Amino acid sequence: MFNYILRRILSLPVVILGVTLLIFLMMQLLSPYQLLASYIRSPEELKNKDPDVLIHTYGLDRPAGERYVKWIQNVIRGDLGWSNSANMPVKEAILARFPATLELALFAVIPVIFGGILLGSFAAMHHNRWGDHLTRIFAIVGWSLPSFVGGLLVLMIFYGVLGWFPPGRLSTWAYQIVTSDQFVNYTGMYTLDAILNGNWAIFWDALRHLIGPTLTLAYLWWAFIMRITRSSMLDTMNKDYVRTGRSKGLPERVVVKKYIRSNALIPVVTVAGLMVLGLLGGVVIVETVFDFKGLGLLTATAAQQLDYAAVLGTTMFYCFLLVIVNLIVDILYAFVDPRVRLE
Amino acid sequence: MVLKKLMRNPISLLGLIILIGFVLVAIFAPKLAPPRDPEQPYMIPRYGYSSTPKPPVPEHPFGTTEGQYDIFYGIVWGTRTAFWVGLFVVGVSCAIGIIVGSIAGYYGGKFDEILMRIVDVFMSFPFLIAAVVITTILGRGLDKVMLAMVCFYWMGYARLVRGSILAIKEEEYILAAKACGVKDWQIIMKHVLPNSIFPVLVQASMNIGSVVITASGLSFLGVGAPQGYADWGQMISFGRNWLLGTPENAFAYWYTIVYPGLAIVLFVLAWNLVGDAFRDVLDPKMQS
Repeated sequence: MFNYILRRILSLPVVILGVTLLIFLMMQLLSPYQLLASYIRSPEELKNKDPDVLIHTYGLDRPAGERYVKWIQNVIRGDLGWSNSANMPVKEAILARFPATLELALFAVIPVIFGGILLGSFAAMHHNRWGDHLTRIFAIVGWSLPSFVGGLLVLMIFYGVLGWFPPGRLSTWAYQIVTSDQFVNYTGMYTLDAILNGNWAIFWDALRHLIGPTLTLAYLWWAFIMRITRSSMLDTMNKDYVRTGRSKGLPERVVVKKYIRSNALIPVVTVAGLMVLGLLGGVVIVETVFDFKGLGLLTATAAQQLDYAAVLGTTMFYCFLLVIVNLIVDILYAFVDPRVRLE
Repeated sequence: MVLKKLMRNPISLLGLIILIGFVLVAIFAPKLAPPRDPEQPYMIPRYGYSSTPKPPVPEHPFGTTEGQYDIFYGIVWGTRTAFWVGLFVVGVSCAIGIIVGSIAGYYGGKFDEILMRIVDVFMSFPFLIAAVVITTILGRGLDKVMLAMVCFYWMGYARLVRGSILAIKEEEYILAAKACGVKDWQIIMKHVLPNSIFPVLVQASMNIGSVVITASGLSFLGVGAPQGYADWGQMISFGRNWLLGTPENAFAYWYTIVYPGLAIVLFVLAWNLVGDAFRDVLDPKMQS
């Protein structure tokens, strides 16, 4: 067990080094003039100055190896350049936007995993009957629905017609309170901060704004989790130990819970890791649809405005998150499935 | 034989019928929606420059969207775009994945170690975000979208092929071929790949839908196909500003979202249904 975790952690620096190399390689496709943009904070700085001189000042005309070392040093110091679209350093923009995305992801993950497992085991228990067919259709339609179509439909119905779940993160009045002096921003996640401040009106408002994007992300991923749970449960149901459990007279409830579901959940852990991967990409579109000012919207706006520093900086951040999450999933996997750690 | 089994299941039959429908639309696109400029059939013709969408009339059966782009035309030619993107990205990624995966799996050792670390690095990028980065750097255009997607899509196939090759490498018929002195690439081509290709094909057929979703997502974000290109994702982004309708009628501009949205959902659904059935047919475990 210990060896497995150690080996897994040791491979981490290699992957991170590879990621930085790949991002640097992508940067080589940009001209020095385009790269210069991430050093310029305002148009005034370009006044009366020759861009070629600036390129020389910032070392953008040096050989690739030298530039890579300098760039890595900057990255380690947290200097990711200047974002033109957010009008602040990329690092600050990421730190300001990340809590919103984290809040959304946390809200989406729990209903998705539990809902998906319940739906999946329901379908498996009713294999080839109506309950199974209905949940399968529900899931496959969800899997075929692009998040931007789903999100726009949610917005059309629940905001346009019913007026329940508006886009954005907060209503204007709530936003004014949150940015005022009386409200302490502990985490940047508005629901949590509202509880800590004891302000239930804000909590309710933030929650209302979270439901739309959560619903969109959830429907998409329910399909995924449900499919895996269903096929894995069907697989487990035919195992000999399940038959043994039944034949020794255990109640059906115990057989399903202890014998089938706990074994069938092993692949679901891997899928949950994949889901985080997909969520990171998915938030870009869902946040754009719902005008939810998180990391994803930062990337999308930066991409539309050709703000290379912010696009590359947020990408680096996503990769870093992903590598960490993958590590956690692998370790978790070793805990759930003893066969992995004995390998 | 596979086809016969596909036909027997009503759900997969439905998928097959929808898919054939789309193939017909793609083939007969020039008849269904004759291009105004035969040189550039993929550019949607505009009928005016007003931004407000106009409801369906006989000349424009699905109405016109923001900027007076004809929705029917965009959907018909967008079918070709969708097939082109889906088949190209999945096909090329599959080919790369098969080559990388068979080298890694068959030779093992250092090759395997290095190739799999490269796969790990590519896998550390969320797919959509990697595609956004590359299209931002290279600029808009369908060719760039496809290139960006292929760059970050081959790894799944490489892992799959490697896994199944590792499983059959020690089978007796491979060892027998080796003992007879058959060349490595001949063993891979004649004995290894044919026995490990089916999981890859099933995976590929199930991936076409999600590739099309990602490509149209890029267009929706405004970093994919160029402005006015027949692409379903872009048509939805045109309709986005008209989502809430008018104060009197919330569904005043429904056609700007519903028609392109329906096109994507049906296309992806058809591929998913067929892929799902394909898997069940080829997976002997599912037959009992």
